Amino acid sequence: MASKKTARKTLSLAPVLDLNEATTLHEKLLGLKGSDLTIDASAVERVGTLCVQVLMAGAKTWEEEHLSFTFSKVSDAFEKTTQLIGVDIDHLMAKEI
Amino acid sequence: MDMNEIKEIFFQECEEQLAELESGLLKLNDGDRDPETVNAVFRAVHSIKGGAGAFGLDDLVSFAHVFETTLDCVRSNRLDPGPEVLKVMLKSADVLADLTNAARDGGSVDEARSRQLIKELEALANGEVPQASSVAEPVAKAAPVAAAPVVNDEGFQPVAFSFDDFETDEPALMDLPTYEIVFKPKSDLYAKGNDATLLLRDLSRLGEMSIHCDMDALPALDRLSPETAYFSWKVSLKTDKGEDAIRTVFEFAEWDCDLDVSRVSGDAAPVGEELPMQPVPFDLSILDDEPAGPIGVIEEEEQLAAQQEIRNAAVAAAGTASNVLQMAQSAARAPAEKSAGAAASAAAQSAAAQQAAASAATPTIRVDLDRVDRLINLVGELVINQAMLSQSVVENDANGTSSINMGLEELQQLTREIQDSVMAIRAQPVKPVFQRMSRIVREIADMTGKSVRLITEGENTEVDKTVIDKLAEPLTHMIRNAVDHGLETPEKRLAAGKSAEGTVRLTAKHRSGRIVIELADDGAGINREKVRQKAIDNDLIAADANLSDEEIDNLIFHAGFSTADKISDISGRGVGMDVVKRSIQALGGRINISSKPGHGSVFTMSLPLTLAVLDGMVVTVANQTLVVPLTAIVETLQPEAAAIHSFGSNQRLISIRNSFCPLVDVGRILNFRASQANPVEGVALLVESEGGGQRALMVDAIQGQRQVVIKSLEANYTHVPGIAAATILGDGRVALILDVDTIVAASRGQSLKPEMSLAAAG
Repeated sequence: MASKKTARKTLSLAPVLDLNEATTLHEKLLGLKGSDLTIDASAVERVGTLCVQVLMAGAKTWEEEHLSFTFSKVSDAFEKTTQLIGVDIDHLMAKEI
Repeated sequence: MDMNEIKEIFFQECEEQLAELESGLLKLNDGDRDPETVNAVFRAVHSIKGGAGAFGLDDLVSFAHVFETTLDCVRSNRLDPGPEVLKVMLKSADVLADLTNAARDGGSVDEARSRQLIKELEALANGEVPQASSVAEPVAKAAPVAAAPVVNDEGFQPVAFSFDDFETDEPALMDLPTYEIVFKPKSDLYAKGNDATLLLRDLSRLGEMSIHCDMDALPALDRLSPETAYFSWKVSLKTDKGEDAIRTVFEFAEWDCDLDVSRVSGDAAPVGEELPMQPVPFDLSILDDEPAGPIGVIEEEEQLAAQQEIRNAAVAAAGTASNVLQMAQSAARAPAEKSAGAAASAAAQSAAAQQAAASAATPTIRVDLDRVDRLINLVGELVINQAMLSQSVVENDANGTSSINMGLEELQQLTREIQDSVMAIRAQPVKPVFQRMSRIVREIADMTGKSVRLITEGENTEVDKTVIDKLAEPLTHMIRNAVDHGLETPEKRLAAGKSAEGTVRLTAKHRSGRIVIELADDGAGINREKVRQKAIDNDLIAADANLSDEEIDNLIFHAGFSTADKISDISGRGVGMDVVKRSIQALGGRINISSKPGHGSVFTMSLPLTLAVLDGMVVTVANQTLVVPLTAIVETLQPEAAAIHSFGSNQRLISIRNSFCPLVDVGRILNFRASQANPVEGVALLVESEGGGQRALMVDAIQGQRQVVIKSLEANYTHVPGIAAATILGDGRVALILDVDTIVAASRGQSLKPEMSLAAAG
């Protein structure tokens, strides 16, 4: 995906983020590197650890590159799962203006 | 239970889900817009996907996933299931069935086809509304109590989770022992379809849990391998369930992770002080799966029924939730009301989900067919044995004390009941076979460019499993023929003043102890001139043969007969209807055709309900014992000399209640005797034949009425014209079971051997 450095990209997550989706998600994120990124997790019904790993690795990478990596919306299931496995996404949540 | 058995069960369930899927889609196709139908369809695909994921059947999962996504659009009213959409969906259901079969039996699938369908499905999902990018989740909006989100559908059963446990635990919570659990999954854990989220969820149910996720091992995105385990956890759990309960949670994952469980003494400083621990919220029910998959809208009745439960649970949940907040004040992320509200709705969900699970669990077991067959065989032997016993008692003790006779009678009744019950086990509705036909119709219609509607009736008619199994093949053949040869192209249909869409009607019904299956099309009917010419070309009949319409129609059952001008992919290989007729006959059935030019043809198959037993009348003909199927007999009578009338050279009629009925001498037709018997000395059995007419079969005497166990004559000896099968009588002798219809046909002047009839006619 050709990316303009300045543009803010949005990635909408699939409803089911399981084992099979991890690779897809990884590739999608790699393709979005270099731009500020907003993640829409509002449709997520189910998320497995592997996809959380990919997202967190993304957050880490984005941070290293001083780009913004935020969750605009998260579904209840997404939020609960991250809480359950002790992954804090609070600091990644889009701040309400 | 090893993995293969579990997999086998999965495939069996897949079959059920696929049937569910197809019938749901067909209902939608007929204009049904009930949300529950859409949900049922969605659930079916979802369950298949879930199970397939657990077994690593990637092809199946990826296809099901795309299919599911599109169905979800229908479910949330983003996509209208119009005819075009359903066409794609029905095809997708077919491909899903193929993929399932391929996953089970090996073999390959048409990859181009599934790729094409994936594209079409994705187009449908994207076509109407751009992929829920910024719009709020419609499902959640539509149903406040929706149990949509699912964390796990890899075939795990939901763990019974009662809030009451926590309520009773609550006062003692402070004093509960604390365990420290270090959990480090290996990549294998994920590769096997398990997930740390599931284990942690189950763990959180044991008590009050705080968790720290160690992400130090996580590399940067470009060095990350998406299927490798990087996270590990340190969990602090307050529970009274004990260390064993904790280890049980990890039971199935113990080889795929490093696990360390240790008890922390109550007074020791909580682990949370060394590491930033995150408390785990209690209302995780939103992550619970329920076996049938997510339900968008819970049905009204269920809601009503579950309300009391919900109220109770909600009270408990609210209590627990606020309690949790007290326990974990520091990191409480949600306002108390919100959390309590969520807990209440979560409790409602779990109550409703339990309700749904309870009603979905029908009390059935799966039994290997071999076992049933073995049982049936044994019961058959039992019936024979019981008959032998009765007979020998009667023979040896002519007076027969009443207690022995009563005991024997009871035994007879019991055997009878056992037999009926065993037969009922094997009885299955014809629905699965009929459903398979709808796919065949779709495919042939596609290939031939015809528009066809398949109407099925009486699909719940039950018949023995063996009959059902053997029915599929001939039926498939006939359906193909009906669509390929029977129905005209849309243009021709319109020209003939019919609607462009052809109709094929498949009906099953019980008629006089047999199952009758009718296949009717509203096509052009049989082109008799063409059939006749073809038969002459193929030397089946003489050029000057004088055949009735019925006889011409029946020519199509001859070997090597195909009227298609050119051989098509679908039918017309010349192995058509004769094979069908033979398989139907092998089942003890008959097949008939009636055709009206311009209005279509009707094939009627009449099959026995079971191939194992038969109620018969035991008769004597020329010193031979024969069994006449009771279902064929209308009445029995003792002919009087005055009622017998002769006509022609050797035909006789019997007058019964002012109507005449041909008298058929069974002994003569079967060549048991050379001359005609005197009707007055014998008994006449009035029978109804498949053709509809009545005949009086003449036998010498009636011995009695009995249930007999059918033993195939073909399997044990060879086919005998006029004889359907054989049985073993109480005295151990073999008695032949009469094929009434062949006998009746033979009495019309046709020879007993069907192959000979045309030669005779020619």
